[in-house]
Amino acid sequence: MSRQAEESRRAERKLKEKIHGGYILESPEEMTPGYRKAIIVQLTVQADTELMSAPAYWLAARHAPSTNTQVSAHAIIQDELAHANIAYRLLEDMGVSKEKLVYGREPHEFKHPYGFDQPLDNWAELVVANGFFDRAGICLLGDVHRNTSYGPLKRALVKVDMEETFHLRHGEVWMGRLARAGGAATELLQRCVDWMFPMTIEWFGLPDGLKRHSGQLDYRLKGLTNDELRQLWMSSTVPLCEGLGLSVPAHYDEEREEYVLDYPFPCQYDPDAKHWLFEDGEISWNDVFARWKGRGPMNEIYVESVRRSRGTVASWLN
Amino acid sequence: MPDVSGGRDRWSAPLPEAPEDGVAALRAALDQVLDPELPISVMELGLVYGVAFEHGTARVDLTFTATACPCMDFIKEDVRDRLAMEPWVEAVEINEVWDPPWTTARISDAGRRKLKALGVGA
Repeated sequence: MSRQAEESRRAERKLKEKIHGGYILESPEEMTPGYRKAIIVQLTVQADTELMSAPAYWLAARHAPSTNTQVSAHAIIQDELAHANIAYRLLEDMGVSKEKLVYGREPHEFKHPYGFDQPLDNWAELVVANGFFDRAGICLLGDVHRNTSYGPLKRALVKVDMEETFHLRHGEVWMGRLARAGGAATELLQRCVDWMFPMTIEWFGLPDGLKRHSGQLDYRLKGLTNDELRQLWMSSTVPLCEGLGLSVPAHYDEEREEYVLDYPFPCQYDPDAKHWLFEDGEISWNDVFARWKGRGPMNEIYVESVRRSRGTVASWLN
Repeated sequence: MPDVSGGRDRWSAPLPEAPEDGVAALRAALDQVLDPELPISVMELGLVYGVAFEHGTARVDLTFTATACPCMDFIKEDVRDRLAMEPWVEAVEINEVWDPPWTTARISDAGRRKLKALGVGA
């Protein structure tokens, strides 16, 4: 090993030790290349996810049942855009160009989860997205907020977490209303749950047993593992759905003292039919990565819709 | 997981009988109703402009932080449910008030302290 490589390894190790002793970094100047790389990946995923939720929710909000409910949905969209901006802004501190991230990438290069490549076609899908996807966001970002070693991110997440709480409540209240309505409304709600529950489960990524080594835990950019986060999500989602009389493909196993999935995981998804192919059995994670990489049906439409108005306005001014 | 109940899981048991000072008891009950985003009460946030109690009817003059507040329905529902929980309250009337407009100056000192502890400046 060259002397330079030896020195950089030592610097990384020293920073990790400091962080595990409770040290909080306050500026990008304190970061080692390894830390910088890991936090850039984390913040890019965070920012892209918030950004892509906005067009997904926007198109669904057209189906709001009243003006007041549409105001609530639009407030959620506005929050999501602000959350995206917070994360892109933190990336700018590290010398990453927000301009390039938002306008300079191909749609498939965005790092949001596959769930936000899917169309949300009605009000029920929007509110289940609030109840499921926003809850996943709270699980992930709440964990980052409690554990991150980067001070500016920790402080920024105070506002994000509080606003996500309202999104979650919006989801829960409306899921309750649709569940109590009975008939077609409840059937529609169940169909949403059927495709969106496994979609969120997959969102948390590789099981811990297969997880490739990542710097996120080493540098204390988060505290919980993928499986722990998946359990956390199920621990509130499964009782919520059961309480509303909705069936979900998971249950609590008393013996194992954890939630267990009742379907082959991971499995293949048919985005056109919004249907998980449980009947075809388990697939490999490489198959899942291939599907994610191919992106979903709304990827280009969502990215284009985020960028469109800028081009339009620019053409008026030129 | 954050509290999305509007504080419901922390609401105290209802008073079995009508208290001597109905207005004070209603105010105390409203102090348990949390804002849907900020974990402080609607009293601490300064949304309650007036409380009256007459012949079993609780009347609350309530404002919101903005005319396009997306949480209005949730707040009204929480206020109504909390007060209706009291057996001596026969009816709840919510009177929406927009004058004077709410500003951050209406947040109580207790609310301000709680927000500061959470890292929110007001």
